[in-house]
Amino acid sequence: MSGELIILVLLIVTALAFDFTNGFHDTGNAMATSIATGALKPKTAVILAGLLNLVGAFLSVEVAITVTTSVLKIQDGKTGSLISGIDASTGLTIIFSGLIGGILWNLLTWLFGIPSSSSHALFGGLIGAGLAALGSSGVNWSGVLGKVIIPALAAPFIAGLVAACGTWMVYRITRNVMKKRREEGFRWGQIATASLVALSHGTNDAQKTMGVIALALITTGHLTGNVKQNGLPFWIIASCALAIGLGTYIGGWRVIRTLGKGLVEIESPQGLAAEASSAAIILSSSAAGMALSTTHVATGSILGSGVGKPGAQVRWAVAGRMAAAWLITLPCAGLVGALSYWLSDGVEALTGSALAGDGVIFVILVALSGYMYWRAQKQKVDSKNVNADWDDSTNSVVPADVREAAQDPSKPTASV
Amino acid sequence: MTYLEAILKVLVVGLILGAGLPAIFAVGLVAFSKGAGGAEADGTVTAPNPALKAVGLLLFAVVTAVVVIAILYITKGTIQHHFGFNPVPFIPK
Repeated sequence: MSGELIILVLLIVTALAFDFTNGFHDTGNAMATSIATGALKPKTAVILAGLLNLVGAFLSVEVAITVTTSVLKIQDGKTGSLISGIDASTGLTIIFSGLIGGILWNLLTWLFGIPSSSSHALFGGLIGAGLAALGSSGVNWSGVLGKVIIPALAAPFIAGLVAACGTWMVYRITRNVMKKRREEGFRWGQIATASLVALSHGTNDAQKTMGVIALALITTGHLTGNVKQNGLPFWIIASCALAIGLGTYIGGWRVIRTLGKGLVEIESPQGLAAEASSAAIILSSSAAGMALSTTHVATGSILGSGVGKPGAQVRWAVAGRMAAAWLITLPCAGLVGALSYWLSDGVEALTGSALAGDGVIFVILVALSGYMYWRAQKQKVDSKNVNADWDDSTNSVVPADVREAAQDPSKPTASV
Repeated sequence: MTYLEAILKVLVVGLILGAGLPAIFAVGLVAFSKGAGGAEADGTVTAPNPALKAVGLLLFAVVTAVVVIAILYITKGTIQHHFGFNPVPFIPK
């Protein structure tokens, strides 16, 4: 195996790892409301979401096309070949560094239970690495603005508005329906709409990773540039579908908890309206090839369902913290991507081997990921305590009893 | 302008499908619940009304059908690529 091929394999593994974090970071987008209202048992919810993500990934390739063409200018738009000035090795390092930025930012926000956008983490990482390598000419700014930044700014507001209208109408229309039947009916509606969101998440988000893998294969010349005409190789679609499905099944319980319990205390009709809004917006933008952040949509919808229900209260402190995280996601992931690129490039300059450079950043990625996983395990949030009461004094994602137990090891844990 | 147009498009589709469908579902639920009859919270008992119940079920079916067609529409490209037919020929391109 040549060095380039080893790097390519490492990159694909890393891309699938990103897809996996994308899955578990976003389980909550689809299932948080169903878990919070008790419409689905936590375990059932993540199995359902995982399966639907798996199926959803096979539905469309529009967004994957956006990723291969609209973010980085590695490829010549007309011929599909690499633009002059970069060789395959530089191209691979850019994509590799971008992925590392995406994964590390995803894990960090997960640790704090913040539902930040996996898509922004990925694009931020890619843009940062592209800037570091090629300067501002390496980034397709108009593509980034039109297909990433503007949708990102608009999405939460559109979703919030739609969900608020939906919630208000649903409460208004059913105000005279017997309570028991209303709850039962909406529980079913909620499960159905949550399933739709899981499906749409698969179509929208799994494709982002497919796009990245395709971009890498185009860079090394294993794939011709025209994804739109020839479609993607089946193994890319299948492996991405599996990775995102598995990730979703593992369940990012911290993020689920924040979305389901932290933002608003949710009832079934609100859950239905929020999920219906999310599903409609994510699916319509998937069809348009907009690489929309499913997280921004879902969070906007849930907030909207809180605004639209008379008398409901929204924890704006939690919402504010999330909004702050959204704003810094692109630049932070970009910074990590750029640092990774510089490090890899530096090591390559010292040793003369591209493999050594990319190997070093891969090892750092594994080490940092392991550390964050270990930190999360010490104050664990899982299917058992995901619905524990929200602690209004700290607004921390970790339930109060787990937090105390972690601070004072002599005291036995109350849960388990 | 094109950005604004795209955003408005998503907003309109979102309002029709994302808020309209739940509203239809809610109306269906009202009809179904009234049609099923039974004791209300205040103790009044309403007789079952099969016609109203059927209306409720019909509305549920409408919602389901719209959702299925919408998903087929999105999958159109892939289905056409692999199986060579258009699953939603009645929707203009």
